Amino acid sequence: MAAVQTDQVTLTINGQSVTVPKGTLILDAAKKIGIDIPIFCSHPKMAPVAVCRMCLVEVEKLPKLQPACAVYVADGMVVKTTTEQVGKYQKDVLGFLLINHPLDCPICDKGGECPLQDQTYQYGPGASRFDFPKAHFDKSVPLSDKILLDRERCILCWRCTRFSEEISGERELALIQRGTNTIIGTFNDEPAQSNYQGNWTEICPVGALTSRQYRFISRPWDLDRTASICPACSMGCNIQIDARSNRIGRFQSRENVAVDDSWLCDRGRFSFPNFQRQGQERPRVRRNGSLEEVSYEEAIAFTADALKHAGGQVAGWASPADTNEELFLFSRLFREVLKSAHLDHRSGVVADAEPDDIALPIADIERCDQVVVLGGQGVIDAAPVLHLRLFKSERKGVKILKVGVTEGKRALDAIPAEAQAIGILATEADKQAAVDLQAKLAKKVKGSVRRLIVTTGPNGRGAKDLGILPHQGPGYASLNGRAGRGRLQWPGAGVKGLYVHESSPLHGFVPSDAESMWLSTLPLVVFHRFKASPLDEVAHVILPGHAFTEKYGTVTNMEGRVQRIRRGIDAEWVREDWRVLQQVANALGASWAYESVEEITGDLVRELPPYAAVNQEARVLWSEST
Amino acid sequence: MAIKPLVTKDFATENLVQLKVYERTGGYTGYKKALEMQPDALVEEVKKSGLRGRGGAGFPTGNKWSFLPKGVYPRYLVCNADESEPGTFKDRYLIEKSPHQVLEGILIASYAIGCNLAFIYIRGEYLPQHDALETAIAEAREAGYIGKNVFGKGYDIDVILHRGAGAYICGEETALLTSLEGYRGEPRLKPPFPAIKGLYGKPTVVNNVETVVNLPHIVNNGADWFKSIGTPTGAGTRVWCMSGHVNRPGNYEVENGTPIRELIEEHGGGVWKNRKLKAFQPGGASMMVLLPEHLDVGLDFDAIAKAGSLAGAGAMVVMDETTCMVDAARRYVKFFHHESCGKCTPCREGTFWMANIFDAMEAGEAKPADIDLLLEIGYGIDGRSFCPLGDASTWFPRSVIKFFRDEFQQHIAEKGCPFKKQPQEAVA
Repeated sequence: MAAVQTDQVTLTINGQSVTVPKGTLILDAAKKIGIDIPIFCSHPKMAPVAVCRMCLVEVEKLPKLQPACAVYVADGMVVKTTTEQVGKYQKDVLGFLLINHPLDCPICDKGGECPLQDQTYQYGPGASRFDFPKAHFDKSVPLSDKILLDRERCILCWRCTRFSEEISGERELALIQRGTNTIIGTFNDEPAQSNYQGNWTEICPVGALTSRQYRFISRPWDLDRTASICPACSMGCNIQIDARSNRIGRFQSRENVAVDDSWLCDRGRFSFPNFQRQGQERPRVRRNGSLEEVSYEEAIAFTADALKHAGGQVAGWASPADTNEELFLFSRLFREVLKSAHLDHRSGVVADAEPDDIALPIADIERCDQVVVLGGQGVIDAAPVLHLRLFKSERKGVKILKVGVTEGKRALDAIPAEAQAIGILATEADKQAAVDLQAKLAKKVKGSVRRLIVTTGPNGRGAKDLGILPHQGPGYASLNGRAGRGRLQWPGAGVKGLYVHESSPLHGFVPSDAESMWLSTLPLVVFHRFKASPLDEVAHVILPGHAFTEKYGTVTNMEGRVQRIRRGIDAEWVREDWRVLQQVANALGASWAYESVEEITGDLVRELPPYAAVNQEARVLWSEST
Repeated sequence: MAIKPLVTKDFATENLVQLKVYERTGGYTGYKKALEMQPDALVEEVKKSGLRGRGGAGFPTGNKWSFLPKGVYPRYLVCNADESEPGTFKDRYLIEKSPHQVLEGILIASYAIGCNLAFIYIRGEYLPQHDALETAIAEAREAGYIGKNVFGKGYDIDVILHRGAGAYICGEETALLTSLEGYRGEPRLKPPFPAIKGLYGKPTVVNNVETVVNLPHIVNNGADWFKSIGTPTGAGTRVWCMSGHVNRPGNYEVENGTPIRELIEEHGGGVWKNRKLKAFQPGGASMMVLLPEHLDVGLDFDAIAKAGSLAGAGAMVVMDETTCMVDAARRYVKFFHHESCGKCTPCREGTFWMANIFDAMEAGEAKPADIDLLLEIGYGIDGRSFCPLGDASTWFPRSVIKFFRDEFQQHIAEKGCPFKKQPQEAVA
């Protein structure tokens, strides 16, 4: 047989043959064929360190056991992971790890989802022969207002310190002292500042780093877990809503390599208290100056009647945290039923001229050779997980230029003409500067120049795509001169009624001073919302709606990826928002007959074919579909 | 066997630390001669000489040099002077007696491997030795041995002297490099080996002080001459640091292959106080204990390995008949526990556990099963830990259990140390 030069190597693990690319670790090759090798320090996103020694396996021809997490495969390698020697050693290392571990599992938040606990059951010795006093360390050390550190539970796997060094680049956590006295800590015990601390609790293989918000909240087996999307910003990080007894206990990450790369920022992770429901609430309508509880039917009839009086002079504001399905119905209610074009989802004036369908996908930041962050920290603050992607890219050799919004020229001068792939990141408010820089760079360099605009809210991009804008219809369709007025113009535009729909206190309708004056004079304010806000005081109708975490639907992130959110909490007494919108429309003469969210999604895709991307949770691409 | 001092031959000369005196004894002629040679020829010469690293592992020095990848610069030479193992003090002696000899060796090695910046990492507690080297470097720079375009040969070399901060682990070569870079002293994952990615990620050779001091003599007298000294697989001499229960503790340079008996009895003047030899430990704190029956083993890497121990860093610790072997092991284990960097589980936790058991042993609180438990803990550490520190922490106690199990049993049965009951035996 002719020798073929190949990048694949074939090895044998426990008698099974497996072929993997060169540069694969034994651990990953084993995983590929379903062989589990226990680990603590190894983490797929971090460089191997081989400090915990849990993964030692036999490799033929090598005298010593080898760490599967740090040794790369070689052609013809013969690996054994279940021999007597390996099994005995696994017992030994777990025995070592446990001699100074407090074994306070019954009161540990990690108990039940703890790799140390699980692997002790699976691979460990049944009992310890260590009968000396354990080494004692500080427990419940506040690392910050978010995180507690238990130094006794810590097994010094280095995952958190490596996260701090390799993933966030902040180097906030470090190892202090040495030997059995080694502890994790911050410089001078100062509070940790990182915006990514919650990730420490997830990568910690024991209960050493725990969340203060989740402290003593639940046992993992009592949690109902729901796959959803983070409500905090337009990044669209995938989360898991962990709820106990219908209360949210925490948000956990749920890896999507295209979006979040398995990380969350603290702003998103710890935003869940905003979505806790305070109690049951019924619709209310204002009669003789005060709000009275009524049935949904009564409130809907009241709303429809009042909207009919306002006619085409009613304005609608839907939050950039609404689902695409809600926005689709909201848009139809206004455009088709009320014949009003006064639609908006924005809080200020933002140029929304283009669909950004040639946007730089988030994951492609890693494949650029130069990335301009136009607006510097402002961009990171708008979507904090972007920092992790940028830092990862920088470690891979991508040049990252952080410049002020007005300093585009600096970036233009710094980028060489031979650059192959350039990315520009900017917030929506600075979109024009990004567009200008993009044009100038496109003239200067040979390669591609793409931009990624950080939109507002978890579905600001969807709100634009679906035409919750006064000057553009769904799919950025021209309105042929029949444009409506935007939010900032409403106070002086003769608007006779306002319908506000929101499902997240993070992206609610917050009136400006000018709007507050105007709102109190409006003859009709319909407030269809999840949580009470000052707007309640001027509302004529309050329609309770579901929170972002209580509903099913789709949202579109900054790069145009359509992802599903799911019901993490049941609030059955609240009528679904889409159903209320449909009932209002039907009371005004429409004849919609949606039975489910899926049916609305179906109609949405029929009207806007690029949204067929929803089926693959892929990106919406407008230009390719037309 | 005839005694042929090699690296210490001029140590009786007064003021040898001064450059002029060192030059008078033939100092720096090796360096000058080396500069006339092609670096590759120099590497070949050292390879041919059979010189093996004196830091402990005994790896052939010339081979180590030739592992450097071709064409990758800069590359560094680091001289390991972080001598910290209990029982070792040869590097201290070599430095304080003749700092220029150390420096000359470093300069020859640097030239051979194409290094323009060499480092000396010296144990923090070696302050007078540090000062001696600092003075020597200044003198050598003044004399033009160090600097740009040395003797017009187009070779640039500078030497940086760096003090450690008191961690035994920094004698391990990768931990040394990490410490030298300014990080916590902890060993690094190998591969990549320092020859490929060492200091600051560049090809690096780490050589022990005693290794480099041999170089001027090899260059001056030739590989064949060097090879003729010692044993077929252990060319040259070694400076043995002898301590413990001997009449004349100190450093003694002997030809490799010299019987241990000769070192202890002739050089050291035999066991003190007319007592009998109980055991001795060649190599340093980590090495396995040997017994009087091994006295005729030659002082040589391979011979000592064959006898069941290792020559290591060349320390000879002599223990007389009054020594409590359990206590000796306890002290060493506590040393390794104290010095364990904490990076890997077996070493960090295993040395802690062993230290606890040994304390209990001495205090008379141990159980019969603890003897085998010690062996099992040792099995769990040796070969499993990240670097040799963990492995080495188990060798001495395990060998003591092998040869002196009865002493452990006695400690347990008598609920305490049988040796401490004899009042006259307060051994320091």
